[in-house]
Amino acid sequence: MPHIPIIMPQLGESIAEAAIINFLVPPGSVVLAGQDLIEVETNKATMTVTSPCAGKVQGYAVELQESYPVGAVLGQIEASAAEIAEAGLDLPVADPDEVAGAPAPVDLKADGYRVQPTVRGLPVPASASGASYLSPRLKARMNELGLHAADLAGIAGSGAAGRVTIDDFEKFIASLEKQKMSKASSMRVAVADAMRRSWTRPIATVGLPVKLDVLLAHRKASNPKPGPALYALRALAIALAENSAPAGRLVGNKVIHPSSIDVGFAVEAEDGVLVPVIRNADKKSLKELVSRYSELVELARERKLPAEATGGSIATVTNYGTFGLIWATPIPLPEQTLVLGMGAGRRMPHWDEAKGQFVPVTEAYLTLSFDHRVLDGGGAGRLLARIGDLMGHPELL
Amino acid sequence: MSITYLEAIREAQAVALRDDPRVFIYGQDVAAFGGAFKATKNLAREFPGRVFDAPISEDAMIGMAVGAAVEGLRPIVEMQFADFSTAGFNQIVNQAATLFWRTKIPCSLTVRLPFGGTSGSGPFHSQSLETIYAHYPGLIVMTPATVEDAYSMLIAAVAIDDPVIFCEHKFLYYHLKAEALPSEALPVGKARIAREGRDLTIVAYSAMVHEALAAAAELAPEGWQIEVVDLRTVKPLDTDTVMASVARTGRLLCVGEAWPWGGVTAEVIARVASEGFGLLDVPPQRLNAKDTPIPYHPNLWAAHRPTARAIAVAARKMLRQ
Amino acid sequence: MFDTVLDASVVGETDRLRELHLSAYRFMLQARLLDEKLASLYRAGKIHGGVFLSRGQEALSVAIGVSLRKTDVFAPLIRDSAGRLAFGETILDSLQTCLGSALGPMRGRDGNVHRGKPREGYLAMISHLGAMISVVNGTLFARRFKGVKDVVGVTCIGDGGTATGAFHEALNQAAVEKLPLVLVVANNQYAYSTPNDREFACADLTDRAVGYGITPHSVDGTDLTACLDVVGRAVAQARRGEGPQLVVASLLRLCGHGEHDDAGYIDPKKKNSPLGRDCLKVAEDILLNRQWADATEMAVWRNEALRIIETTVARVQREPAPDPFAEHWTAISTRDLRETHDELGV
Repeated sequence: MPHIPIIMPQLGESIAEAAIINFLVPPGSVVLAGQDLIEVETNKATMTVTSPCAGKVQGYAVELQESYPVGAVLGQIEASAAEIAEAGLDLPVADPDEVAGAPAPVDLKADGYRVQPTVRGLPVPASASGASYLSPRLKARMNELGLHAADLAGIAGSGAAGRVTIDDFEKFIASLEKQKMSKASSMRVAVADAMRRSWTRPIATVGLPVKLDVLLAHRKASNPKPGPALYALRALAIALAENSAPAGRLVGNKVIHPSSIDVGFAVEAEDGVLVPVIRNADKKSLKELVSRYSELVELARERKLPAEATGGSIATVTNYGTFGLIWATPIPLPEQTLVLGMGAGRRMPHWDEAKGQFVPVTEAYLTLSFDHRVLDGGGAGRLLARIGDLMGHPELL
Repeated sequence: MSITYLEAIREAQAVALRDDPRVFIYGQDVAAFGGAFKATKNLAREFPGRVFDAPISEDAMIGMAVGAAVEGLRPIVEMQFADFSTAGFNQIVNQAATLFWRTKIPCSLTVRLPFGGTSGSGPFHSQSLETIYAHYPGLIVMTPATVEDAYSMLIAAVAIDDPVIFCEHKFLYYHLKAEALPSEALPVGKARIAREGRDLTIVAYSAMVHEALAAAAELAPEGWQIEVVDLRTVKPLDTDTVMASVARTGRLLCVGEAWPWGGVTAEVIARVASEGFGLLDVPPQRLNAKDTPIPYHPNLWAAHRPTARAIAVAARKMLRQ
Repeated sequence: MFDTVLDASVVGETDRLRELHLSAYRFMLQARLLDEKLASLYRAGKIHGGVFLSRGQEALSVAIGVSLRKTDVFAPLIRDSAGRLAFGETILDSLQTCLGSALGPMRGRDGNVHRGKPREGYLAMISHLGAMISVVNGTLFARRFKGVKDVVGVTCIGDGGTATGAFHEALNQAAVEKLPLVLVVANNQYAYSTPNDREFACADLTDRAVGYGITPHSVDGTDLTACLDVVGRAVAQARRGEGPQLVVASLLRLCGHGEHDDAGYIDPKKKNSPLGRDCLKVAEDILLNRQWADATEMAVWRNEALRIIETTVARVQREPAPDPFAEHWTAISTRDLRETHDELGV
């Protein structure tokens, strides 16, 4: 019986390949023309590959979870000549079984087997032309001066498609020299570097108002009193202990999962921000953490953080409410996916359905800024809601 | 008085024969007939016993010259066309080029290759073979672009202790004229800035220098200042002069009449890319003959090799990037 | 030098012939013993690359060496260890090259049979067959150009090499220039493994001489006396200005192409025919039959040669190998024209 190949179809205009998710029909099954055979996933959608004609699924030539290019042979359908004709397909030429009973050698000269020449004229990557293009020469000059691409933001390029030419650059440098200049602190340079690296990712922010009255009462009754950020930190730690996936990092096609719930918190120090880390923040109660927290704040302000209290955290809490801000979109550290922000608490009118009237409550915004490659709005929202929920029950913290 | 590129080559050989009794000329039709291009015209008469006709045996011609060089003579071998030197290729690259390295005996011989395209010459009388000789260690490869260089570099070639492949362009033979022969010259191995500029560097050699200069003149009214570097010798390659020019302009276009694959232009670009990447404002480019044998018909031939027009088009594209 | 056929009956010739044979035999013996040592060094892994022996071709080769003067030109080929020694190459030069000593003439840059001292008229072959003939032509041409007289140039080739274009071009060139070239063809019946009938179709390789307008000579390459006679005569004729001479010797290579080759393709009938005689044994019989030497003397020569070879091997093995860090990595002699480009600066 002739074999008809099952081909990976063109699944969309810009789709080059798709991954095999599921075999819907086991090999050996008799199928109809157009019947769903294989479930595949592109980076846009999940779709099915259907049978090219009626017949028997002879077998699949592909592996689950692997990607195959459009046009790849995924398997074979064993079909009669009549079934093939019915599907409007050409009978395969020189079918080995039909003709000789032995496999015919592959004709390497046949068109289908010819090695295709390397693709030419691929589109130039967006960064290789226009305003964002930095020639090797410009890069070498910037290196010499210790400049980064972000430093060129203020230059309107006069080159092709707005490209910054070496002349533009030198004029810019000369113009700077006419202005007052001072040396940026090493702390400033370090923060700038971290933010620049972090900003290479698509960062999004979601926000949620939470009522703080219960929390504030809990705080008032505590001795020593935990800072508001510590409540948030502890809530974040518990939420991540329940589900750490949102704090994973995406590297290539792999998600790197956190190995322990180490959470940092931002402390303003001199000309920048330091992030002390509380290790295993999910395993210690709020009460246990209060003194450690205060200690780390002091050490950070003195810029004397010990090595074990810096780096390696999976998320950060920042209480921008201390600056009177109610809302902000902080940027996660480059090696982190999440930053939880906390705005200033305010007395707000709240409609009390039971009482049928507005009652005053203390409310603050929680924001969660995240790497959108790892997390979507829904996941971020659920995490933030869980944090808000926990902060409404400080006794659980 | 004016003197052509071809006459300069003849004069240089006359000087070499006159000044050094170790020099002799060996080649097909070079004696009484004066050579297929008349590059040895009257030399047999002026220097009796110094100019010898050879049988059509390119391999044996070079082998003979190597033997004579071993004995301390300084032969000049004329290949009737560069194309035919492939019939003597073995002796050039395996005998002449390896002799010094193997035995400490310098192999002082000069192989003159009338090369390059002229209209109507076709696949076997038009080739540019500097690349394949430059590929082999032990050879010096000269590609003079001017009457002055043809003269002074050929005199230098004969005086050099190493085997020299002297690529003289047949198109320039009659087309290029100078008022007088020079008394001084740049050292061999040093490139020359044929035209100064600041926007783009064109590196060329031999006849392509003139195409590059014409392209530079075409681009001048558009406000572009093109620098043209004449390599003069492709091996050794004067990387320093090229690099200094690219440092000024940030743009590099290499032009060669030879085929593109692994050629002199590729070598120049490779060196600039590896040693001077930070000098480049746009990706370096090269223009070469098309990757086919050289066509006979003038229409095809004109499109096969780089011309001033093609160079200007390529340059404009780079300048607008 | 002989100008006539060797004839022991000619008055005064006998002593000269005896000396010539004794000298030739001793070079043959040295060559054979040196070859055996090289084979054993090769098998012990002391020699890199290949080892190519001359076994069976010593009589022909030595005849060249003893027929030449120091002022002549000799471009030996692959199986000329006897001729090399007779022309004046030392066992030291040979072993230094084969063992890759930095102090040898080739300084580890080239090995085994690719050795020579071109300025002494002793050319270093390249591997491409036929390529050395026109180079010898060039040296002879140059000497004539310089007014040097009484020079002969000899080079060797095998039956296989006669099929190259270079062979043809160079013989024709030598004939046109009437150069004092003697081209000695060792027809050892096989071009590597390919027998004569797949290499040429003329009845005899000497037939080619007619086509070039040069003088042919045939000789039994297993017979020392015949080789001394014919090669000596060809050299003398060239020296007298009679133009190029083509000597074709019939013999059999009594070893593989190289020591890696078991030569299983050689027809046993050929081995058992007169072609397969060992020329060294034949030479010994000549000396013994003519009572020019006895077994005791031969044993003394053998021991003396072995002693020289062994002490030289011991010396060369202590010599330094070439040092890649001290090597001048340039193929150009003109200092100013060396490429400045240094790949990655290493």
